[in-house]
Amino acid sequence: MSGRVLVVDDEVEMQRALRTGLGYHDFDVRAVGSGEEAVREATGWRPDVILLDLGLPHMDGFATLRALRPMTRAAVIVVSVMPDEKDKVRALDAGADDYVVKPFGTEELVARIRAVLRRQAAVPAGEPVIRCGDLEIDLARRLVSVKGQAIRLTPTEYELLRYLGLHAGKPVSHTTLLRQVWGEYAVGDKYNTRYVVAQIRKKLGDDPANPRFIVNEPGVGYRLQA
Amino acid sequence: MTRRLAPYAVATGGAIAITAAIGAVTALASVSGLSALYLLFVLWLAARWGRGPAITGSVAAFLLYDFFFVPPAGTFAVRGPAELLELVVLLAVALVTSQLAGSLRRAQAAAEAIAGDSRALYELATSMLRTHDVNEGLRMVCENALRLPGVNRFAAVAMVAGHATPVAGTILSADELRQAEWSYQNGRSVGITIKDGLVVTMKTHGPTANTACLPLGSGVAVLSFDAQRAEPNELRTLAALIGLADLLLDRRRGTLEAERARGFEASDRLKAAILSSLSHELKSPIASLRAGLTALTAPRAGLEPEQRELLNDMDRQATRLDRMVGDMLALSRLEAGVELDREAHSFADLAGTALYQLRPEIKDHDVVLHIPEDLPAVEVDELQAGRVVSNLLENAIEWSTPHGVIEIGALARDGEVEAWVENDGPGIAPADLDRVFDTFWTRRSKGTGLGLAICKRVVEAHGGVIRVENRRRGPRFTFTLPLASVPVRK
Repeated sequence: MSGRVLVVDDEVEMQRALRTGLGYHDFDVRAVGSGEEAVREATGWRPDVILLDLGLPHMDGFATLRALRPMTRAAVIVVSVMPDEKDKVRALDAGADDYVVKPFGTEELVARIRAVLRRQAAVPAGEPVIRCGDLEIDLARRLVSVKGQAIRLTPTEYELLRYLGLHAGKPVSHTTLLRQVWGEYAVGDKYNTRYVVAQIRKKLGDDPANPRFIVNEPGVGYRLQA
Repeated sequence: MTRRLAPYAVATGGAIAITAAIGAVTALASVSGLSALYLLFVLWLAARWGRGPAITGSVAAFLLYDFFFVPPAGTFAVRGPAELLELVVLLAVALVTSQLAGSLRRAQAAAEAIAGDSRALYELATSMLRTHDVNEGLRMVCENALRLPGVNRFAAVAMVAGHATPVAGTILSADELRQAEWSYQNGRSVGITIKDGLVVTMKTHGPTANTACLPLGSGVAVLSFDAQRAEPNELRTLAALIGLADLLLDRRRGTLEAERARGFEASDRLKAAILSSLSHELKSPIASLRAGLTALTAPRAGLEPEQRELLNDMDRQATRLDRMVGDMLALSRLEAGVELDREAHSFADLAGTALYQLRPEIKDHDVVLHIPEDLPAVEVDELQAGRVVSNLLENAIEWSTPHGVIEIGALARDGEVEAWVENDGPGIAPADLDRVFDTFWTRRSKGTGLGLAICKRVVEAHGGVIRVENRRRGPRFTFTLPLASVPVRK
């Protein structure tokens, strides 16, 4: 699988390393050093994945992300040195698909890029069944099963699992889950999502100490393993 | 002079007036026992003015009575023991009553003086304790002490870092300061002591006998005074002032310590802030380094296996450098007093997250979990507590045998959760058991020496303890975490 990757990083050494490294993995790579150029390339070149460094000069990463989101369907992976958990949540809530912490190895980055590309390809709108290993979520019939065994979930548990399933492989923040499951004006804290996730895990037979389906993203939220 | 003579004039005049009154009454009718009026008058004199006027009054009364009423009237002749006895009785009444009244008056005067002193002290104490400037309060104490008769010198000395430092009062010589220091360090007073709320002089054979030192909680009171010139109530006031100085010196030390702690805290924060921006600067080149090194290990780069191995080695070193920077920053933030974002978490979740993050490193090991399903939730900062578990796990991976067993366990005990991570690697030398949590202590060349120090800081920031012991299988790290105040909904 290959694809177009736009690298947005103001360090020339990083640009060159990624052009070379991702090139060896059959990606078509372009690198730019500013948010303004990124916006131009996003519409002109139409990349599949954008690797966006948060620490850009002038127009910073968050501003670039906000500018990019309405104009491209490319997956955005945010890249940052020492990101705060708040920065990660902010990037996810602003439309980023994933985040990678610098320094990273090329293999790790390639794995993340492939994951978001797979997600893009695997979610044709209206797909009725989400499959994650043994877990099946039948969206049309609102049925959840593990290894063919039907699992009875409460409406809240189903909504939460459905949302994670629709974004399988992507970290979903506590705030997003609260908004999506409990409504736009949901007041509550992470405790609600933690409680519901604990219940879902128990019903799916997922061991929290050795999770097969729902993985914790510490300080951020949860992710359903794709 | 006239005021001192007035009572004697009243005594004489009174005796004459009573004599005239008795004369007037006996001229009209024969009334016996009127001489008792003299007794009454002498009593009054004694109670009012004391011994002198009372004696004057009684002698005047006796002479007048004898002259006018004792036959033969008009003479001072004393005949027989009965009349002498009358004089003696009058004089005795005068003496005894004046004595009694005198001591009563003195007691009252003393009580008034004490009340006055107490009031003055109370006002002084409240005004001194109200001043925000402790040194100003100490100056007021010294001024008031120096105003007392008999007190020649008075100084409040604070102990600062083991040295006697004069704060207020009389200027002291170097010798006197040394003596004060000695007195404080040995907890022994020189020259004076306080007993039953009074300053009492003692006989000591000190080097400078005329300067007295009294060790206090946070300093020394240094004074010299002449005990002969001081009244008991002044000694009491002096003792009270020394007590106030004690209180103020304590407060002074408390204030200084608080200021110092604030200073340390500020410098810790500054250090953490500098290290944070420095870490950022260090990590950016490491990021380019790792991206470049790992780019070249791809098969398509066309390098020979040993060249790839070399690049992998370099990447591992770059990763280690990155870990060191991160650990140093984490440690300095913990030292600066990181704010914990405490929430209820299940320990199984924390362990699962750490295991998931470390799955590439841990995949060849046999991980055994002993976490009861009904383990109560812990109230911790998710990221910090997660760091404890993953640091201990990394340590276990490092030291366990290849494909060895790593055990993670937890149980509720004594109102907290006790958790442990154990591996089957070699035990830790007994001499090193106490040192493993020290900053920069490491028994391998690969480590940063900070992982376990961070664990200790995080656990202690949560109010827990961490320890290590050699079990039959290998070393076990045990730590405690606080239980969540809200029970987990089931």
